[in-house]
Amino acid sequence: MTGKTIVITSGKGGVGKTTATANIGTGLAMRGHKVVVVDTDIGLRNLDVIMGLENRIVYDLVNVIEGTCKLNQAMIGDKHDYELFLIPAAQTRDKNSIEPEQLREMCAELEKEFDYVLIDCPAGIEQGFKTATVAAKEAIIVTTPEVSAIRDADRVIGLLESSGLHRPRLIINRIAPDMVKRGDMMDQKDVESLLAVEVIGLVPADEHTVVAANRGVPVVHNAKTSAGAAFLRIAGRVDGEDIPLMSIEPKTGLLSKFKGMVGMNGRAYSHA
Amino acid sequence: MTTDVVQVVTRGADVAIVIDENSPFDVVTAELREYLASRSNLLSKGDITLNVGHRMLARDELAQIKSIIEANSGLTVTRFWFAPESMESGLLQVETKPPKTLGLPTNVADNHPAHNEIDLPGPPSETIAESISAVELMIESLKSRHNKNGARNRNITEALFIKSTFRSGESLHHHGDVVVLADVNPGAEIRADGDVVVLGSLKGWVHAGTSGDSKAVIVAMELPSTRFQIAKYEGIPPASDRRKLNSLSTGPKIAYVRSRTIHVAPFSGRFARYNKGVPYDG
Repeated sequence: MTGKTIVITSGKGGVGKTTATANIGTGLAMRGHKVVVVDTDIGLRNLDVIMGLENRIVYDLVNVIEGTCKLNQAMIGDKHDYELFLIPAAQTRDKNSIEPEQLREMCAELEKEFDYVLIDCPAGIEQGFKTATVAAKEAIIVTTPEVSAIRDADRVIGLLESSGLHRPRLIINRIAPDMVKRGDMMDQKDVESLLAVEVIGLVPADEHTVVAANRGVPVVHNAKTSAGAAFLRIAGRVDGEDIPLMSIEPKTGLLSKFKGMVGMNGRAYSHA
Repeated sequence: MTTDVVQVVTRGADVAIVIDENSPFDVVTAELREYLASRSNLLSKGDITLNVGHRMLARDELAQIKSIIEANSGLTVTRFWFAPESMESGLLQVETKPPKTLGLPTNVADNHPAHNEIDLPGPPSETIAESISAVELMIESLKSRHNKNGARNRNITEALFIKSTFRSGESLHHHGDVVVLADVNPGAEIRADGDVVVLGSLKGWVHAGTSGDSKAVIVAMELPSTRFQIAKYEGIPPASDRRKLNSLSTGPKIAYVRSRTIHVAPFSGRFARYNKGVPYDG
């Protein structure tokens, strides 16, 4: 079996790389694939928390690289019945503890056993970024519809292209439909024309994402939520399925109209 | 006259050997040998520029000087500087090793160094044979740049062609014209000795005519508020509302220098007379 190594990166911090990694990884596993997610944000690990695996960590990525433990000793199985594993980052070390070449070797090893190896990249464009991207053959960029995030995404796409990672794909995260409708937020077209890359997913801002992350159960488990459904579709597209992009629009059902009239419109969005 | 024939000049990080333009050639070579021999331990390693001033050298003379420098010290001559009389300002910089074809490479993405600094052209040549052919090419390219009267031929030039979006953090300096087939995004930097044409939206920073050519122009299909530079003149979009209204109209734009100020006008062909442009703040 030869799997695919995909890096999930953004440049700017806090746009949802880790959330996207957890959800796409889980989504791919739900589709029946063998998936491993690797947290390379050494010193600031989060992926384990989002996936609810924090208190199962014994060994981490740096232990594997340094040979303190075997590769499969550091792999933590997901709580659910999927073939999903996590290799957590070390919390007490820094980004210089691993060399790009070492991570590349480890991913090559993982590719033999797994369908998908997802690398959660640290924010920034320094050593940690370089290490995380060197092992990957594909890249997914996460951005939000804000100028600062888009500027950083632009820079990262340039860096990826110059290091031979062509045609990265884009996830636009935290789109607020009513703000887009009012013209207060950039829409998909604006972002797409600025960054000139393929968009692989649009994720609406959804409170469920935060709740799910706090509970340690990625939102993709709940396909009824708008964000969960969006991540499920993204997992499908990563998997090669042809799923058209859905435009994100404010909820306009009867109930929400009524709620709007009495001033209790919630902040959950659905797809038109 | 033992002192001033050969001089070493530093300009920023650049180190240049300057040879006196009026001394006879054999005096220069002898002085050069002597100079390098007396400082052989100082000049043990590194790249150097050779500045020959207004001297007109045959290609074998140039190669001879290069080989003298490289044989008598650990230095590598990476650049030659000329000062053609025709150019009213500045020096014309010509690289010793143009790319294999006479035109410059259109695909710059292949050998990007890690930090997106695009280096043009390639590394200095290794052997003397190679350097002679490089010098030959260099002289050819000099000829094509200047007609009989010594004026630069502006009508047919070799341009660098960029086919993908030029992104934030990417930067290049090209000794000629630059054409970008896509957008130039905010945070990107393009410096060109000649004109810059952007067949997309120009949102990054562009400096045309870097070698001092104030006849250089910037053409862009879309020119949203952005600052740029032509020769030594800098332009930022006008702050006053009335003028801003004009400059904000969509469509292709051309930026040029008139009476020491950058003007921007709707683009209507290279040789149209532009005189109704919006002056940019300097």
